Amino acid sequence: MEGLEGYRGVARGLLERYGVEVGDVIEVNTGTRKIVGTLVPRYIYDDEFHIVLKLPNGYNIGLDARKILSLKLVKKGEQPAFKVPEPPRTREDLPRVAVISTGGTIASRVDYRTGAVHPAISAKELYALVPELSSIARIDPEVFMSIYSENVEPDHWSRLAKRVEEAVNEGYDGIVITHGTDTMGYTAAALSFALEGIPVPVVIVGAQRSSDRPSSDAALNLIAAVDFASKANLSGVYVAMHYGKSDDIIAFHLGTRVRKNHTSSRDAFKSIGTAPAALWQEGNVSLMLNFLPTRKEVGRFVSKPKFDGSVSLLKFYPNMQENFLRAVLGCGIKAVVVEGSGLGHINSRNIKHLTEFINKGGFVFMASQCIWGRVNMNVYETGRDLLNSGVVPLATMISETAYVKAMWALANSSSREEVIDLMRRNIAHEYLERTLE
Amino acid sequence: MSTPRAEEIGLRVGLEVHQQLSTGRKLFCSCPVVKTEEFPFTVKRKLRPSQSELGHIDPAAVFEFLKGKFNIYMWNKESSCLVELDEEPPHNPDIEAIEAAILIALALNSEVVDEIHVMRKIVIDGSNTSGFQRTAIIALGGYLEFSGRRIGVQAVTLEEDAARVLGEDEKARYFALDRLGIPLVEISLDPVTASPKEIEEIALALGRTLRSTGKVARGLGTIRQDLNISVSGGAVVEVKGVQKLELISKVVEYEMKRQSGLNIIAAKLREKGIKEIEVKYKEVQPELFSFLPDILKKDVDGKHLVGCIVAKKIAGFIGYEPYSGIRLGKELAEVARANSIGGIIHSDEFQKLGLDINSERKLRVALEADEDDALILFVCERERSEKITNALIERLKYSIVGVPPETRGPTAEGETRYMRPRPGAERMYPETDIPEIVITREIIDSISRKVPVPWAETVKTVSSKYNIKEDTALRLFDEGKIELFSEIVESTGLPGPYVASVIVDTVAWALREGAEESRITDSLLRETLSMLSASRITKEAVPEILLKVGKGEASSPEQAADLLGIRPMPEEEVEKVVERIVRERINLITERGDKAFSALMGEVMKETRGRAKGENVALILKKKIEEISRG
Repeated sequence: MEGLEGYRGVARGLLERYGVEVGDVIEVNTGTRKIVGTLVPRYIYDDEFHIVLKLPNGYNIGLDARKILSLKLVKKGEQPAFKVPEPPRTREDLPRVAVISTGGTIASRVDYRTGAVHPAISAKELYALVPELSSIARIDPEVFMSIYSENVEPDHWSRLAKRVEEAVNEGYDGIVITHGTDTMGYTAAALSFALEGIPVPVVIVGAQRSSDRPSSDAALNLIAAVDFASKANLSGVYVAMHYGKSDDIIAFHLGTRVRKNHTSSRDAFKSIGTAPAALWQEGNVSLMLNFLPTRKEVGRFVSKPKFDGSVSLLKFYPNMQENFLRAVLGCGIKAVVVEGSGLGHINSRNIKHLTEFINKGGFVFMASQCIWGRVNMNVYETGRDLLNSGVVPLATMISETAYVKAMWALANSSSREEVIDLMRRNIAHEYLERTLE
Repeated sequence: MSTPRAEEIGLRVGLEVHQQLSTGRKLFCSCPVVKTEEFPFTVKRKLRPSQSELGHIDPAAVFEFLKGKFNIYMWNKESSCLVELDEEPPHNPDIEAIEAAILIALALNSEVVDEIHVMRKIVIDGSNTSGFQRTAIIALGGYLEFSGRRIGVQAVTLEEDAARVLGEDEKARYFALDRLGIPLVEISLDPVTASPKEIEEIALALGRTLRSTGKVARGLGTIRQDLNISVSGGAVVEVKGVQKLELISKVVEYEMKRQSGLNIIAAKLREKGIKEIEVKYKEVQPELFSFLPDILKKDVDGKHLVGCIVAKKIAGFIGYEPYSGIRLGKELAEVARANSIGGIIHSDEFQKLGLDINSERKLRVALEADEDDALILFVCERERSEKITNALIERLKYSIVGVPPETRGPTAEGETRYMRPRPGAERMYPETDIPEIVITREIIDSISRKVPVPWAETVKTVSSKYNIKEDTALRLFDEGKIELFSEIVESTGLPGPYVASVIVDTVAWALREGAEESRITDSLLRETLSMLSASRITKEAVPEILLKVGKGEASSPEQAADLLGIRPMPEEEVEKVVERIVRERINLITERGDKAFSALMGEVMKETRGRAKGENVALILKKKIEEISRG
């Protein structure tokens, strides 16, 4: 925070004229009254006419710069020095967990002077803000990248998979990845394939309420994630989030079966077609599924981190235009995952365009937009027509996972047959044998 | 010692009034304002204090977190949605509430800000699911007219109401979410020096100004007062949530006594040459339990311990009362209770509790305490003893300074009890989920036109125009009936004093007799009185009709009149009744002559039950009595 962050136009002109900066205590003369407060930053998309003061009682108010008669600097702002409180001691015999942050803030502190929120970066800060961690594991936090999860791309998954591979080979007992929640499910699926056969647990964790709030779900999710990563006798990739709306049970979902089903609630993430892999409460882990892989001893773990981004995920809708579909298929992609209606359908008049795409060497995979249930293209004629064209049905694989897997399969195969074979093989529980929900 | 006077002790009281608006919906979502009785859903949460930039954590926040309790929120879809549950970001604030707050600000001569910024004020006692209260300054400055004085207004803010506390046990605090999110305006006044009664009157005047805008809710719980009270040389004590106006003067009076009492104790301690209270903590070992007062023994089991704080050289000070009911012992007990233990026992009350000298001596020896040391004993769970000891020691040490800065709550009797330390100042940051709101000149101008005439003027005008007493006009105003009153007088032509007495006194009578408030509507009063002015009923029938409809036994005044059979009686019939009664009581008349009038009048009125006009009956009766008297 420095200079005149967020100010432009009229307001900036006024502030520059008086040589004051964000953080300074100033006195504003509006003609009717004199108001003393700290100049705070302005949000970049706000108008250019107002300046924002933080009053001594903590409130912010906006004052119209055009009505201000004069300004006076009362006190130059000081950069506050953040003193990290001494973290509690960590025992040497605790398991080691790498905490890799990709964006979003799992722990943060607030500068009440200006309202800025700062993420906790070092282990010391993390311990200080979530002191419970120090009795669970020795953690090594690292900021791997800092992006909103909607900006995550296949290249990020590749780099993240490589980093996890290194961490495993560095001897960590478990790995925790903090992630924005919007596309957390996609990253979880990507890592599930790229880290096939990983000997330790990898837990992806996020928060639906930001960590600057007292009510944030971040701390409890993180505590559970670190605890699980350090001690659960499981391997593979999991997503840890609130099971319900209460701060008690944390669900661990299989990375290939998890979906964000709500825009804002703490329990937005659900396992699709199955129970969560495990539930955590006050340090106790209850396994909910009996086919999960346990921890393994391996010499050296090697990941398969490559993804081929030339895949599209396409939701079918009534009246899907033929030229729209043609344009999508002709944009240079190698494969498309169709979120078909019902058991796996699209409108008949578009089938010929899929056939043409397949005949030219493209792949068409069919998942369902129903979210729950199994794709079965033998029941109706449209389904059989699609099968006949070479569309590959994906049974119980959820569409987001199918999309990610197609990118991974393309990058890790040398022939058409191999791609289809990989897509049909159950690698990380993306297929369920039995449909129970 | 008698109660000190305000000026002598430098009393300063700042009023903060929190008033619910009557917009009918919540401030940051579309939930209606409904008082919920049943709660089919619950969620369980914990709030963590967030750390501020300076590595400094708010003391009030830490206090609450250390209590280590879950908050259980109970809710019902009729009154709450995911916003109150902190499961969905807030919607944009209700524009009607903002306009109401601006109107109130203008009525208080306050200057509206150019741009409203909603803030998050950290509140970690669980009463807000988010851990903060959303609040925004609407206007700065202004004044309230109060008997020729101007009481300065500091700010007018618009905020969301907190969740309703349902209870607390060892493990959790319970809240209802129906109230969370209701829009409140908060008006904070400059601290003033005034008598407790005057402070109460200032609050009343402010309440009336708010009501004059027509934008505020009425009824118990819709207005709450916080009082920031200090005396010279002491910290500011915040008394939170005084709901009844009548309690204000009592609370102020109690705090005057308490605060000056604490100052007297501090002065006496210093006089004794004590510079700092020296304390040490000792656990009372089980072999000493037999020497403890009985009242302590009964609570001890394996999970508990008996703790003792030995305070050097201050024996006698813990039980010393500079004013009746004001003593350090009580202060310590309140701190203990706020930390969820039953209370404390101290050595100044050993005798009263029946502890013999020998036991006390043995106890003192074992705890290495001298005769002039005070002992403070308490029973608590082992794992919580350190926290409780620290809280008690902190309070004890403050006794040499005087009045500690605290947040206190009122009791039903108008005393106050310790709740928690006062929150630190820096605990607000912007609500980033809500864009700021620009308030233009045009908005202000259009709202300015709705600013009400000051209530005192309204009362004067109504009083002189309709020939009623000012007191009566004020009662009509306080009950929100002044417009109804003038409307009825104008439309019916009935005399002002009569209409006022029906609206104020007759309605109150009907309520006492069992009518329901919700049934005594404005339109019932309007219709009943217009029936009267059309001579379709008598004056005497008015209370009966209001009661009948008020009890739900009739759906309209017309129906009530029919059911009661109180259509006016034709004159001949009245005459017949009078004649019959006169004949029956002829002896009374011959014995007492004119003096029999009032007894007979009562009998006739009883028999005609509101169907005959009193003045008619009187005329006829008088005539008949005269006839008989003359013989």
